[in-house]
Amino acid sequence: MTLFKQIALMLSLFLLVILITVLTLNFKSANQSVQEQLYEDAKNTASSLSLSLGSANGDISMMSTMINANFDSGHYHYISLIDVENTVLYERSAENVQTDVPEWFLNAIHIEAPVASANVSAGWNNVGILHVQSDSSHAYTELYTIFKELLISFSILALIGLTILNLLLAAILKPLKKVQLQAEAVIRNEFIIQEKIPYTKEFKDVVLGMNTMVSKVKAMFDKGNEELKKQKELEYIDRATKLKNRKYLIDKLPQYLKIDADSKGGINIMIALSGVIEANEAIGHRRVDTLFMEIAKIFIEQTKHYDNSIISRMNGTEFSILLPDCSDTDALKLAQAIYDSVSKTILACGLNITLTFISLGLYEYNYRQSIGQLLSLSDNALAQAKFKDTHIHLDKAESAVEVMGKEAWRKIIYEALDANNFTFTLWTAVDGKSKKIAHNVLSITLQAKDGTSYSYGQFMASANQAGLSSSIYKNILEMMFKTPDNRLKNSICSLRLSYEYLSRGETYTELSLLFKNFAAKLPFKLIIELPDKLVRQNSEQIKLYKALFEKYTIEMGVFEFIGESEDYQYLQDLRPVYIKGESSYFLTQSEQSLSALRLISDSIGISLIATGVMDMQTYQKLADINIHVIQGKATEMIALT
Amino acid sequence: MRKFKVLFFLLFFVALAHSLEPYVDDKLLDDITKKYNMFAKKRFVFLQKTLDSLESADDLQKLNAVNEFFNRVRYASDMQAYQKTDYWATPWEFLGKDMGDCEDYVISKYFALIYLGIDSKKLFFTYVRSTKFKEPHMVLTYFETPRSEPLILDNTNFKIFPASKRTDLIPIYNFNGESLYKISATGTGKKIEEQKSHKKWDELKLNMQRKKI
Repeated sequence: MTLFKQIALMLSLFLLVILITVLTLNFKSANQSVQEQLYEDAKNTASSLSLSLGSANGDISMMSTMINANFDSGHYHYISLIDVENTVLYERSAENVQTDVPEWFLNAIHIEAPVASANVSAGWNNVGILHVQSDSSHAYTELYTIFKELLISFSILALIGLTILNLLLAAILKPLKKVQLQAEAVIRNEFIIQEKIPYTKEFKDVVLGMNTMVSKVKAMFDKGNEELKKQKELEYIDRATKLKNRKYLIDKLPQYLKIDADSKGGINIMIALSGVIEANEAIGHRRVDTLFMEIAKIFIEQTKHYDNSIISRMNGTEFSILLPDCSDTDALKLAQAIYDSVSKTILACGLNITLTFISLGLYEYNYRQSIGQLLSLSDNALAQAKFKDTHIHLDKAESAVEVMGKEAWRKIIYEALDANNFTFTLWTAVDGKSKKIAHNVLSITLQAKDGTSYSYGQFMASANQAGLSSSIYKNILEMMFKTPDNRLKNSICSLRLSYEYLSRGETYTELSLLFKNFAAKLPFKLIIELPDKLVRQNSEQIKLYKALFEKYTIEMGVFEFIGESEDYQYLQDLRPVYIKGESSYFLTQSEQSLSALRLISDSIGISLIATGVMDMQTYQKLADINIHVIQGKATEMIALT
Repeated sequence: MRKFKVLFFLLFFVALAHSLEPYVDDKLLDDITKKYNMFAKKRFVFLQKTLDSLESADDLQKLNAVNEFFNRVRYASDMQAYQKTDYWATPWEFLGKDMGDCEDYVISKYFALIYLGIDSKKLFFTYVRSTKFKEPHMVLTYFETPRSEPLILDNTNFKIFPASKRTDLIPIYNFNGESLYKISATGTGKKIEEQKSHKKWDELKLNMQRKKI
């Protein structure tokens, strides 16, 4: 029960008790007053009648007549005349008079009409004592009317009182509501500063305290953000040309060289500028630097139509242009265009094109290759290009022998989709420090008709090529929500959703419907992982996803994080529970860069998880930089408690 | 023998208790001295002595002594004594001031006689008309029995006469507050003190309880 309800209830009860007490006292006072009035009436009658009876000189018949006349003319219950020896000389009494007062009131309220007495004398002698009792029926009617009026007026008073009380309480506790919202925001790692400082001292102190605390945490986040941006510039940007550097390319390549990569392969062009020493001698360092900048602009201009391309300066004279999904024909045309443009620029600088020129080694890579292979084979292609007159050379990767053809894969995947033959294999993310499972990782497995199981790595590439990955995700999500695995009850499980699937227009609607109908019945806590590439856009679509997940208490995680965003505000806005990055990414970060990332993640409660940790040696290195939660083969080597 | 001893002690304590409750106690005497003067105190001491001397007297002796004692007080109207048109003074005020009107004589005589053990049922405040002074008057009437001829204790006449001898007085109304109290309290569940019987009498009883001087 909220504080407001408790106080409102207490004060309302208090008010009601006061009103009921006042009502009771008022009623009692009215009751007493009515009884006193009854007595006064009776007393007046007794006094005046006793004086009148005195004039009868003890004549009983005369006195009886006088008593009758009085009794019949007023509201009396009883009049009697008793002589000095206690003998009743004459008496009159009335039957109970019918009134419109309800029976319950007559039973609940007892009105005892007092008896008034007066001495009756005749001359010097005493005749006796006259007793008069008024009729209480009239008093009942009067009291019932008073009771009704009191009840109505007190009900109105109570209603007005309670309304005013609630309004006042709401006004007084309004700042508390804001404090509560602020406190809830702090729990959610949100930074809300309450601008309106409450008047009440206690609330004012709390709000000021909360504001200071929130400001400090926000300042910490902002500092981390700034630091990371600065570090990112130092680590990933070439200062002279403003192009990306070799480190960036190496950190980024894992996204392109993986089984479920969006692209199956493409062309990497290694470009080297020869004759730089001669150029320096001819036109000077400054103009050579300008030449490099011109060349960088040419690269950017020529590749602007290629999505997801990476242009990076590998060293002083060499550049790399990674072109995913680019055919060798297009790449050759592009290489020629770059060559021609750069040559023109070199000539325009007044340099000798035979001494200062560029060579372009094109290497057609595929997703199965390692970073080392891609770079060394690209270097080979460049070496070949340098010896060619055209200065352009294309090398192709040796195509791996496919186990199955594309069509065969397509058939298997279609069959699996039709028959819902996808299942989950469980991997774990382990906290090496506490030696506990941080969460389970759900990995999709395909069960073919013939009973063969294919892992995510085996079929996903083909599914991507066939454009079926979204259908697979839709299928497995429906399966997970509609027929959840009860063995996972009370555990925490993560599921990775691809960029392609999440970018689909209909995915949001499908997920909404699925969550609405089944999320409440899910026996485990679900964390949906979204790629950093999508999340960092901080688009409306992402905000919708976040709101949707929050509505159904589904947590959000980020994977493939390499910290290449312009601004990390999106992390604060989305507040994922964790960020997953390749172990190599974390291990190659500078101390400053990592501490800046830590500052951001710690200030908003995000944990860092290293993926692809294959051995304990790597885990140890990660542990040294305070990253303890890992994913990969090394998790099997940690003895859990 | 033992029973006699118990009875003796009981009687002794009853007598002691009675002697410990004088009509005018020491505190009252002090208060009267403070408010009035030494002469007032002396009047009260003399009253107590008079009452003490009547302990074993019969009703008639008591009536005579009390009537005589209080009739020595000077007559004064309520306006003169209390600056009020009509006021029933307590015996302490009456004797303290050493003045009062007819009701004040009746009241003081009544309570002194009650103190001396006269049954309150026998005493009545009687409203009369004085044919001599041609004005309303009040006397204390004593009824030996409910039907017997009353004796009149009057401040205008030092001697007590039977009612038939007082042709200068026309009786109007007899009143006995105590008997009315007892009757009206019957069956109402209320204490006698809380009951009402007569406006003036009720005020007087209250002042008596407060020992108004």
